[in-house]
Amino acid sequence: MNIKFNNQVPTDREVVLGILNNSEDALNKLYAAYFPMVLQFILNNSGDEDEAKDVYQEAIIVLYNKVKEGSFELSSKLKTYIYSVSRRIWLKKLTQRNKKTSNIADFEEVLVVDDDLEQHEQKDLQFDKMQEALENLGEPCKTIIQDFYIHNLSMQDICEKFGYTNADNAKTQKYKCLQRLKKLFFNN
Amino acid sequence: MMREADLEAIIEDYLNDKLNTAEREAFEQLRKNDPIVDHKVVAHKVFLDAMAQYSTVVKLKEQLNHAHSQIDVDTLVEAYKPHPSKFVQLWRSNKAAIAVAASFLILAMISIYSIQNNSKQAGSFEAMSQDLAQLKRSQNNLIRNINSKNSSANKTPAARFGGTGFAVSANGYIATNYHVINGADSVYVQNNKGVSYKVKAIYTDSQNDIAILKITDKSFNLPGLPYTIRRGLSGVGEPVFTLGFPKDDVVLGDGYVSSKTGINGDTLAYQVAIPVNPGNSGGPLLDNNGNIVGIINGKENKTDGATFAVKSKYIMEALNAIPQDSLNRKVAYGKKSQLQGLKRNKQVEKMQDYVFMIKVYN
Repeated sequence: MNIKFNNQVPTDREVVLGILNNSEDALNKLYAAYFPMVLQFILNNSGDEDEAKDVYQEAIIVLYNKVKEGSFELSSKLKTYIYSVSRRIWLKKLTQRNKKTSNIADFEEVLVVDDDLEQHEQKDLQFDKMQEALENLGEPCKTIIQDFYIHNLSMQDICEKFGYTNADNAKTQKYKCLQRLKKLFFNN
Repeated sequence: MMREADLEAIIEDYLNDKLNTAEREAFEQLRKNDPIVDHKVVAHKVFLDAMAQYSTVVKLKEQLNHAHSQIDVDTLVEAYKPHPSKFVQLWRSNKAAIAVAASFLILAMISIYSIQNNSKQAGSFEAMSQDLAQLKRSQNNLIRNINSKNSSANKTPAARFGGTGFAVSANGYIATNYHVINGADSVYVQNNKGVSYKVKAIYTDSQNDIAILKITDKSFNLPGLPYTIRRGLSGVGEPVFTLGFPKDDVVLGDGYVSSKTGINGDTLAYQVAIPVNPGNSGGPLLDNNGNIVGIINGKENKTDGATFAVKSKYIMEALNAIPQDSLNRKVAYGKKSQLQGLKRNKQVEKMQDYVFMIKVYN
């Protein structure tokens, strides 16, 4: 077993500060540092690399949200936290697939992270709802909404991008799209 | 319709904090008076929050996917996928436990090894009873090498070696170590007052490293011996002392019996914790009551304060080997010593006339 992590493992403090400062570099380092650990866990517990990717990214998102909320305390090692969250997510997926979770091969120490996961599931539900609503919205509404709310384009940019004759038309179009999206989002 | 759209725009600006103070106050007033507007504000806030969170996660996922694309997943999968061999799997998942177990095993082996080794004493014996046959004298012996400063100018040849001896009878029988006088051409003893007497060896026991010398001067006589020879064995921890001649004046060494056996478990000897120097060889080892319990005969060269002494029983055996009528008022065996109950300085004072420096010429 001469496998080493390809990249330098960033310190826990570096990662937390990096997330708070929206540092892309810190996130990349974090990602590269602990992916092999989670990959090993998933591969050895009846998963494949794509599932490992999904689980790992979800775990990073949990960590990210927790840090951004300011509720992450470095009481344990980041590595242990990520492993525990990934493990918990994967066990849940296994249970949903009616696979046995009794004989789990563990590679790290495990923390209890149920509260964090519960919070995350709430948010994930909202995320799925929004995603579904957007999918059902259809074009061009979806792109207009995404451009405005996610990519932060101004109404002027959107007007030019979609070739509306004036900004008011664009605004009206956006308003209509928004109304439909809200309806889809709230009534789902 | 247009009004709805405007209202929506205002709500959004309000929630995004983009209204100026006047507009803000006006809108808050409207919100207060119109429950429908208020409801719309709350609903839009929920929506915007959800949208913000969605946007964050989408962007984050983009970043993570970017990070993921830079990882060589295939190589990692190759390295981490479950190994077909159960043994390797067991090893991978229990590396820590195996490491702990292994270190315990190694530790245990080291301890067993060291315990076995410790049962032998690491040092070697400096007075070398085994090498006594050798004429060549070793400086490891506790025999003092007396080099006279002006030996060439002196008519009397300088003594080459020195040791210590003690009287075992009033008429000039003196006990010392065999290794002190071994190979000597002539041996003299010198008392505390500096008077020398020629002696000859009456009895030697190389096995026990004991020699009995006799002062040839027939007129030599001592008052009755103040000490006796102890019958029983000394226990570990018993305080003992010795007098000897590592230099030209008598020197007291104080300590305790540290082991009932000598080097490598030699039952002929005691191990005592008394610092000794060359010249102490052959000195009497006494307990607090003034009974001789042994003769100092060497020390371990690697350990400080590990001195060895021949047990008193063998002194007695040596004395019994000498024709009894030649021993006038010999040292008492198993009797009460005159030194009993005295302070150490008084004991030394009473004893020093009976302890001799052995001077060996060859």
